[in-house]
Amino acid sequence: MTLLATTPPHHAHPTDDRRVYAVGVFMALIGLFTLLVFGLGCVARASSSLTFNPISVVNAPWHVGALTLNARWTNVVVSLVILVGAGEVLLRRPRRGLMTRFGVVAVLFLVALLIWAARSPGPSPIDFINVTSILVGASATVMVLIFGALSGVMCERAGVVNIAIEGQFIAGAFVGSIFASITNDFFLAALAGLVAGALIGWLLAFFALRYQSDQIIVGVVLVTMLGSLSSYLNLQVFTPYPNLNLGNLAPNLPIPLLAKIPVLGPVFFNQPGFFYAMIILVGVVSFALFKTRYGLHVRAVGEHPRAAATVGINVVRVRYLNVTLGGAIAGLGGVAFMATKGQFQVGYTSGLGYIALAALIFGRWRPSGAVVASIIFGLSVYLSYDLVTYQVPVSIYVLQMFPYLITIAVVAGLIGRVRAPAADGLPYKRD
Amino acid sequence: MHLELRGITKRFGSLIANDHIDLEVQPGQVHSLLGENGAGKSTLMNVLFGLLTPDEGQIALNGEVVEIHNPGEAVRRGIGMVHQHFMLVPVFSVTENVVLGFEPTTSLNRVDYRQARDDIRRLSHKFNLDVDPDAIVENLPVGLQQRVEILKALSHDAELLILDEPTAVLTPQEIDSLMTIVRSLADSGKSVLFITHKLKEVKAIADKITVIRHGRVVGRAEPSASEGELASLMVGRDVQLTVEKTPTSLGEDVLRLRDVVVLDDRGLVAVNGVSLDVRAGEIVAIAGVQGNGQTELVEAIAGMRPVASGEITLGERDITNCTPRQALDAGLGHIPEDRQRDGLILSMSVADNLVLNTPRRAPFARRGTRNLAAVNTNADALVGRFDIRTTSTQAPVSSLSGGNQQKVIVARELSRPLELLLASQPTRGLDVGSIEYVHRQIVAYRNEGHAALIVSSELDEVLALGDRVAVMFEGQISGVVAPTTSRETIGLLMAGTRETSAD
Repeated sequence: MTLLATTPPHHAHPTDDRRVYAVGVFMALIGLFTLLVFGLGCVARASSSLTFNPISVVNAPWHVGALTLNARWTNVVVSLVILVGAGEVLLRRPRRGLMTRFGVVAVLFLVALLIWAARSPGPSPIDFINVTSILVGASATVMVLIFGALSGVMCERAGVVNIAIEGQFIAGAFVGSIFASITNDFFLAALAGLVAGALIGWLLAFFALRYQSDQIIVGVVLVTMLGSLSSYLNLQVFTPYPNLNLGNLAPNLPIPLLAKIPVLGPVFFNQPGFFYAMIILVGVVSFALFKTRYGLHVRAVGEHPRAAATVGINVVRVRYLNVTLGGAIAGLGGVAFMATKGQFQVGYTSGLGYIALAALIFGRWRPSGAVVASIIFGLSVYLSYDLVTYQVPVSIYVLQMFPYLITIAVVAGLIGRVRAPAADGLPYKRD
Repeated sequence: MHLELRGITKRFGSLIANDHIDLEVQPGQVHSLLGENGAGKSTLMNVLFGLLTPDEGQIALNGEVVEIHNPGEAVRRGIGMVHQHFMLVPVFSVTENVVLGFEPTTSLNRVDYRQARDDIRRLSHKFNLDVDPDAIVENLPVGLQQRVEILKALSHDAELLILDEPTAVLTPQEIDSLMTIVRSLADSGKSVLFITHKLKEVKAIADKITVIRHGRVVGRAEPSASEGELASLMVGRDVQLTVEKTPTSLGEDVLRLRDVVVLDDRGLVAVNGVSLDVRAGEIVAIAGVQGNGQTELVEAIAGMRPVASGEITLGERDITNCTPRQALDAGLGHIPEDRQRDGLILSMSVADNLVLNTPRRAPFARRGTRNLAAVNTNADALVGRFDIRTTSTQAPVSSLSGGNQQKVIVARELSRPLELLLASQPTRGLDVGSIEYVHRQIVAYRNEGHAALIVSSELDEVLALGDRVAVMFEGQISGVVAPTTSRETIGLLMAGTRETSAD
């Protein structure tokens, strides 16, 4: 008898494989739908034009002419790209990057939908798509989602699920509106919103860490409570004292020269301060989590709190700190949201906090991923409202379900299997 | 480092987990702390490592009395602990795990990974602990993960290393390599506190042995002491370490497994085409490091987990993908791996637990109503026959000790006619006395001409019980050998080398 070394057999993952297959089929269906409805559904001579000059910018130094596309053939090409992508997924069964592929398909689908909606001759009274104003309009939603998703990254990397992002949005928006109205200073309003969000975050941490309550339940309770509290206060405070909810928009701070670049300028360089703060924050959070000692501690606490504790890291303190900071970021997001609407309204965050949570999962608990995911989700949220102007023959309420459907699919783990921090959502007990 | 524990006492309510424990470890010495599960070893180590505060007593390091409030403090004072369940972050690299909590930093609080990596290379070279600093821990075999734990302790300049049941998850070869490492650490002047309940290891590695039982030091011994002496010290009475088996005549195949494939919870292939027969009158023992598909195989046989492909027959019946009840009805007796989760309902009484798999059958039920008199008569009889120590048959089974809980399960399964006894880790967590009892029951059952399939990650148990030993590795049977086969050969099979015929 001799003994021979064998290499361990490669393990397949049937469940994963089934998911990859399902995503491939889903992508193929989207491709087919795009081809049949948005492509071949247009008459051959139908065209849509893309315009690039925002209405709000006067005296732009550069003028970009409109681009007229044949609606039918453009969409046929787009649908073929989607179908090729679906084929690649079905044949190659990639293990990584599935969500990215799905995101690209979602964006392509939205593009085809727009081109189809604006086709002429067609039912739409508007036969052009103003690309720049769509991007500028969507950037506000995207920004709020990124704030929310960053808040989630901070909390969940430390092992606490912050499902109360929505609540922190509401708190930030409410307090922010009061401060902006009184002082007319959005910097002070931002500070106030930070503090309000931090308080809600701290409250979540307090229940989750001190009493080890179920984080999901505490989070949902906080959202419900803040929703009701805000409508009560709205009635008691803002109705009798409308001066406290004045309706100021945060001013745009154009960056010299850069702001005049066509398309990119208005989208990236002529934005309110909140937008630039968000971009800086993405970099800071990314750096802090993945390069610094602090970040290593946070991730250790989120993955294996006992291991962190045995090397002298104070698990509870790290979690308190991060959930409070996460709350502050979401609170700031709430002020930013209010500043794009001008004032506080009851219920106008309409579940953006949950979509941010989905963006966080879609983005694999990474700030950079969260940005990409927020762009996809933000665009689809914005477009679902914008499409009304094109008189799409589908009820606006059905259109508005679209982002939430993707959210459910992502949160339920139907699309792609991602790996959360191992201790995410689990209470920590010392022994 | 010179360590002295003086009169350490730790109480949990009325329970005294540590009762005036004295212990001294000299530099360069491997000191073994021997005791059964629940004897108070872990409590003592947690006191030493700052996870628990002692009610009385002193800890002296190099002659200086210190108080240790948290693990961070213990580490700073030069105490390193290699936990039984590794304290490693699976998704981190070796470097990240080793520096965690003690990171070298550059500007802006950045972790200086370059320096960290260099430090680890130097350290692993110095102590002969070869490991790739950039490997992700979860991709490493368990033996290497343990090495990372040891490196981690050494990188914090540990002078005293505590190893808590370090061999529980290792293959025999990995155990050998660990022993070499421990010896060389001691030779380089470190002190080592080696906690275990395995007598062989103690004899192999220790310079000094302290035995504790029920929270008290009951004896000190030299490694030259015999296993029997150590065992009786540990248990408090004479123990028979080997089980006597009478030769039996082999009967028909009772259990037949054919190319059985089973998936684990994540959908990965856990059992990869296992074929095995168990005949009447023999015990087949499945050996293997935990996590090589044994759990899934047992659950599949017991009807608790679907079979992806293949065939399982018990007696004349095909029990592939049957329900647990169908398996029981086909004559399967099952002692599950996790007795508290799958074997008992802890809040229910001893009497009810003794009829847990036959509650609907006569005489325990009639026309849909329970016959409590029959249940209680049954309980009285079994408690006497299997020597179950309980205050009453009506007491909740949770009030029993681990050993007696296991006796309840053994009594329940062996008190009805069976085709096959299937037992998974039947003595895990039990004291030596209870192990002896359970082993005797299983062998007596086999001596009567019955079939049994035993799964255990304890090689001693496998060799003591098995008439044939099947070794599992990565979901496959890597070999079926006689129990007289050398430990080295079985160890190689456990590590995945495959049995082939020479030609």
